[in-house]
Amino acid sequence: MRRNKPLAVLAGAALFALAACGGSSDNPTSGSTKTFDPSATDIAKDPKRAAPAADIDGATAGGTITVYLPGDPGPDSLDPTEGWSVTGNSIQQALTSRSLTQYARDPESGDMVLVPDLATDLGTPNGDFTEWTFTIRDDAKWQDGSTITPEEVAWGITRSMDSDTFPGGPGTEYSQTYFKDAGKYKGPYTDKGKTWDGVSVNGQDITIKMAKPFPDMDYWGAFMAMGPSPLGKASDPPDYGQNIQSNGPYKVESFRPNEELTLVKNDQWDPKSDPARHQYADRWVFKFNQDTAKVDQIMLSDNTDSQTALSTGIGSNNYQRANTELGDRLFQQSAQCTSFLSPDYTKIKDIRVRKALAYAYPYQDMWLATGEVPGVTRVPANSIMPPGMAGKKEFFADGEQFKFDPEKSKELLKEAGYAPGDYKISMIYYEADPLAVAGQKQLVKGFQEAGFTVVNGGYPVQDSPYNIWLNPDDPLNKKLNLRGVNWCSDWPSGLTMLPPLTKTGAAYNTAQFSEPAIDQKMSDIPSMPLADQAAAWGALDEEIETKYFPIIPTAFRNDLFVFGSKIGNGVGDGALGAPDYKDLYVSQ
Amino acid sequence: MSAQTAGPETLGHLSEEPPPVDPNSKQAKTITGKSPLRIAFGRLARDKIAVVCAAVVLFFVLVAVFAGAICSIFNVDTETVLATTRVDFLNNGLPLKGPPNHGFDPAHPFGVAPNTGNDNLAFWVYGCRTSLMIASIATLFASVLGVSLGLLAGFLGGPVDKIISFFTDFFLTVPFLLAALTIAPIVSQRFATSPHYARIQLIDLIVVLSVFGWMGIARLIRGEVLSLREREFIQAARVLGMPTRRILVKELLPNLVAPIVVSISLMLPAFVAAEAGLAFLGIGVTSGISWGQTINTASNFFEVYPLFLWEPLIGIVALVLALNLLGDAIRDALDPKTRR
Repeated sequence: MRRNKPLAVLAGAALFALAACGGSSDNPTSGSTKTFDPSATDIAKDPKRAAPAADIDGATAGGTITVYLPGDPGPDSLDPTEGWSVTGNSIQQALTSRSLTQYARDPESGDMVLVPDLATDLGTPNGDFTEWTFTIRDDAKWQDGSTITPEEVAWGITRSMDSDTFPGGPGTEYSQTYFKDAGKYKGPYTDKGKTWDGVSVNGQDITIKMAKPFPDMDYWGAFMAMGPSPLGKASDPPDYGQNIQSNGPYKVESFRPNEELTLVKNDQWDPKSDPARHQYADRWVFKFNQDTAKVDQIMLSDNTDSQTALSTGIGSNNYQRANTELGDRLFQQSAQCTSFLSPDYTKIKDIRVRKALAYAYPYQDMWLATGEVPGVTRVPANSIMPPGMAGKKEFFADGEQFKFDPEKSKELLKEAGYAPGDYKISMIYYEADPLAVAGQKQLVKGFQEAGFTVVNGGYPVQDSPYNIWLNPDDPLNKKLNLRGVNWCSDWPSGLTMLPPLTKTGAAYNTAQFSEPAIDQKMSDIPSMPLADQAAAWGALDEEIETKYFPIIPTAFRNDLFVFGSKIGNGVGDGALGAPDYKDLYVSQ
Repeated sequence: MSAQTAGPETLGHLSEEPPPVDPNSKQAKTITGKSPLRIAFGRLARDKIAVVCAAVVLFFVLVAVFAGAICSIFNVDTETVLATTRVDFLNNGLPLKGPPNHGFDPAHPFGVAPNTGNDNLAFWVYGCRTSLMIASIATLFASVLGVSLGLLAGFLGGPVDKIISFFTDFFLTVPFLLAALTIAPIVSQRFATSPHYARIQLIDLIVVLSVFGWMGIARLIRGEVLSLREREFIQAARVLGMPTRRILVKELLPNLVAPIVVSISLMLPAFVAAEAGLAFLGIGVTSGISWGQTINTASNFFEVYPLFLWEPLIGIVALVLALNLLGDAIRDALDPKTRR
């Protein structure tokens, strides 16, 4: 799932620059007690978890929780089929939109557990994982009081096949790869009138047929895209995205994209029908695109407004103060996220040049210039798979951890036949954000010392770099030979990291990497015995990075949240890398 | 029974005319031969505030003109350095040497910027140059445009006046900030791949400032010309067969020096402030060096590193205040009707 926060105001840096950081942070803890925290290795599954969810110790009902999202534009549409961002999914999946399965936080260990949601268990696969059956519970209701039917869930799943209508949705990667007729059936809106027998309903049971083995269907079921949508015209895009029918504990009172989302209690939601969600607060107000400096001051002031508020980020300039003054209220959440530089595989063909780029990137300096907290929110990365992911191997693509080493870079360039300054790099940077501009200047300086020349010092762009990188017809995009991407896992499996980033033609494969042998392996691994898959992804990760080195991992990421003094149970959701909205309450 | 509203007695009291003096007296000799501008200059020189402000403005002009020399005297430059060489990554990205946590650092008299390690003095000096350069070029263009359109509209009258007045009103209705916010990204996008991007951005800003800055002076000049053109000396010039161009330049313009000087001297500080404001909003000079941009960055560090914010702030406040007060003083000096 892509991390869109950095794209916004604060950190266009993010793409290159937040992406930047890293370097050799040997001892990041002088004066700070926090260090980088790798995420939990695996997500446990509890297919028997029953509703209602256990109460949180000391939780009280009532109050309004305000959530500030500094520099985060939030989702443009609330349509469950469209949601593929950390921000949107973490909010909606916890509060408004139910799906087949969901995550619950274990209050003891802090780990996330996969538990049933609308399904009564985590689904039953057939022997080779080509058919999954879920039994839909009969007591879940829409906000208008009508019961959620298996037909509506099947309709929601069918919608996810439509890549043309929902180009930014997760169905483009998973439904259109693993479900039956993937690539042939283009979804109910694009292929109007065609019937699709990928999902069939039998009483309360729905059965999903696969095109190839898909053992991770239970995790994929935790996406709101695998949830119900009202039948017929009521869920027609794009209107439905601005006016969704809620089925979680809260319903939408008002939604202004990129500004504010207000949720109020949904009185039709029954705690007895839901194994993990709570309905403690009366209202939720999400304020998008907030100014970091302003939010920092609000949260540090501890006034009556900020006591019941939380923020999903903090400026590095206030980190030390927050760390001493706020104590546990400054919460560090690990997430399975990696930032990358993507040299264009079709233009930068020599692996020595790609490795030289990895040595030319001034990790530490970029990180400082773009306002990250060294050793806490960013650490150096060695692989595509983030720490904590099952199967991740501790290998080094070039025998050692990449760090800024201009001499080494020049040496590699010389071997490849380029004199210092000969090799030209074309890239873009997000000019609207001063931090991104500062980061770009550091990058240009670092590249220059290491023997590269950045054409024009990078091309400035005024909107999200993803809009350029992901558009193959963009004339500027065609000029570039260095791009970037920030990626978080969709569930803890290499399946959600490697194929979306390195498969031929994948949307976020900004390096244009394409090797048939690797593609073949990526399509083979899901058919392997379940126990071997994690190790196979780890081995494939090592193979891709040591043999081809198509994308340069620059950093693994952590996030910082600030909780107001009256927010109870202020913790994070390790599966999504967001605050754990399901379990928050206002202490009275 | 009605009385005369202004009899000879009352006229004498209201009149600003100095009491008649004997043309052969000493006093009369010192007055004769002084042009109105010279008189105004004399008044200005006696105005203490004006003198101080002029000195301050002169200081900033010298800083702007000799920016390169000043930087080399202090041995600082605006080159990007790798951040880790100057700032402490363990301590919020604050500088390793110098303020705010350490004493004065002679290598960087104004300190260095947090996070990036840029030299504050060099950025301050070049920020001053950007400010003054943009403001003065924009003032030049805006006033030339405004004065010529005002002269034409006022003197020619008829359809020419109607058309020019329409455009004046039209540009006055366009909200400046909104227009600047719209135009800047379009131009930036269009020239994103140009190697002269930074210069184009500068020119774009100057064009925006002057295109939305000429209306005030055009209206003022038009009004003045309307009253002047019916005066006897203009009539006389016309009767003599002077060409229109000559009447405009030789007869009208010299009589308009006072309002032009006044509005220029007040336009300059307005543009300095506008340039900084636009840079603060993230439009305008984003690729170069500007006080407004430094303020934008520094506002996040106000609590831990106030000096970083004070430097560009004091620069802008001092320059704008001095220019404004100087402009006021010039207006007072040139216009005998306003007395403080």
